[in-house]
Amino acid sequence: MGCSASLPDRSSGLLAGPNSENGGASDAKNLRVKLVLLGDSGVGKSCIVLRFVRGQFDPTSKVTVGASFLSQTIALQDSTTVKFEIWDTAGQERYAALAPLYYRGAAVAVIVYDITSPDSFNKAQYWVKELQKQGSPDIVLALVGNKADLHEKREVPVQDGIEYAEKNGMFFIETSAKTADNINQLFEEIAKRLPRPAPSSTQQNP
Amino acid sequence: MEGLSSSSAIFYDFLDRMRNPASLDLVRSIKSFIVSFSFYAANPESDGKKVQEFYATMEDNIRDHPLWAGATDQEVDCAMEGLEKYVMTKLFSRTFASSPEDAKIDLETSHKIHLLQTFLKPEHLDIPVVLRNEASWLLAEKELQKINAFKAPREKLLCIMNCCKVINNLLLNASMSENHVLAGADDFLPVLIYVMIKANPPQLHSNLRFIQLYRGQTKLVSEAAYYFTNLVSAKTFILELNAKSLSIDEIEFEESMHAARLTNKATEKDATQALEEMTTSQGQTDPGSSAVLHYKERSGSSNYPYMDKEAGDLTVGDVERLLSAYKEVVTKYTSLCTAVRNLSFSRAEPHATNLEDKIVVSTQAEKTETTFLKKGFTMGQVHNELLRRQKICPHPETNRC
Repeated sequence: MGCSASLPDRSSGLLAGPNSENGGASDAKNLRVKLVLLGDSGVGKSCIVLRFVRGQFDPTSKVTVGASFLSQTIALQDSTTVKFEIWDTAGQERYAALAPLYYRGAAVAVIVYDITSPDSFNKAQYWVKELQKQGSPDIVLALVGNKADLHEKREVPVQDGIEYAEKNGMFFIETSAKTADNINQLFEEIAKRLPRPAPSSTQQNP
Repeated sequence: MEGLSSSSAIFYDFLDRMRNPASLDLVRSIKSFIVSFSFYAANPESDGKKVQEFYATMEDNIRDHPLWAGATDQEVDCAMEGLEKYVMTKLFSRTFASSPEDAKIDLETSHKIHLLQTFLKPEHLDIPVVLRNEASWLLAEKELQKINAFKAPREKLLCIMNCCKVINNLLLNASMSENHVLAGADDFLPVLIYVMIKANPPQLHSNLRFIQLYRGQTKLVSEAAYYFTNLVSAKTFILELNAKSLSIDEIEFEESMHAARLTNKATEKDATQALEEMTTSQGQTDPGSSAVLHYKERSGSSNYPYMDKEAGDLTVGDVERLLSAYKEVVTKYTSLCTAVRNLSFSRAEPHATNLEDKIVVSTQAEKTETTFLKKGFTMGQVHNELLRRQKICPHPETNRC
């Protein structure tokens, strides 16, 4: 998979954001966002995030790199910044019942499957249903088909992902953490879809 | 590890500022807030809410206070940390593990972990071989076990963070040196669960609840919130764990749990038996001993009518009865002590229990202590010597060292 060996990628159109680590109250210009990652184990959830965080790497920015919690700030074209606080969850079936502890209060849920594994696509649909029932009502949902570089092993057609996402009103993208394809686009798109707090009011993550 | 040394510096800085006459108004608010707690019965939910509201009010007050005029966010932050530690240390006995339900879950959790410890292996949680690092695990366990050494919510939280950091380092190292693909939470949570089971941290549930209720809400966010959630999640997993939660044969699981329960019961039974043996043999020489052991059950009876009374309930007329009850208790206590001493010296049976050993060692210790002190040893030397003797001499009463 090679996700741990990926090199910093600076060719993206995004700017590395000024990371303000001042405790992190959000305002209209600087959002702080809790993002939870869901999906079967082995679909590459953490690879996507590592790619994102390392790809954005700027020596002047403070990036929190843990094995399962990462945070990264990006700057958007409209001069606002979004700080993603990324909560990884264990994808093994035996931990499924614990997921609500993690997605409680999340502004974004990224649900990942592996395009070479129909099982993982089924599991992704299970998470979508659960979040629609249990997640906060204004949660932004993104469906991600990862390992898009493995064309010859593909078992979930792109069309299936697109259709399912459309039906459920969510954003869909196929990515490759290995080649970094669409990784930045994923987070950029999410940032655009976030509900913005009204100017001058402050929003805090619950 | 990180954070705990700087924490005391912050705290002393806070205390220093509070000694400044200019902060008298703040000191008054803090004191009256703490006192206000004695007016109501303990209730974790509403106590937590009150404390959080107080933090918020005090933060505003501190920001507007002349003593903090022109202070940076960081300085106000330090003051808030100091305040939190001060208030929660003062309210600790009232707020920590105060509800019987919490205490019950604590017991249930530690009991379940105790059973699991007897047979659970890393492979039952499918922990990859490269992550089976006993040294790292031990370090993480130690951090978790420190949790009861602190009263302030921040410091308890730091124990959790440090434990998680050790695990994180293990995962990062494995990904670099062992070429193990970093799998994030897929790897992190199982290792944390395993470490938690090995550590069996004291009063786990109460500690987590205490942090959740009393750590300043603006501080339990982001990375701290993530790792805290993982601890809650691991605890939940353990409490609800059954054969299906593990990679284990269902029959093997049930048998292992059953065997662990039996062993547990046997140890408990041994302890109770030893205690009973002692009481019966003392009972022959002194009928008061069982009354002492079970004074709680009997406190309502006529034997000790003053056990439930407060000083204000007493009248001058009670003095005579009180004095005679006092004399009775002292007499019983003295004869009990003599009985225990005689019993320990007269008994030379090979199956001397640990409980007896302790009593013997302490009476022996008293004697030895005086002898050593007479010889001009310092107390420290005496204690070291006693400790050494206890270790090498398991049955001092029979001199079978």
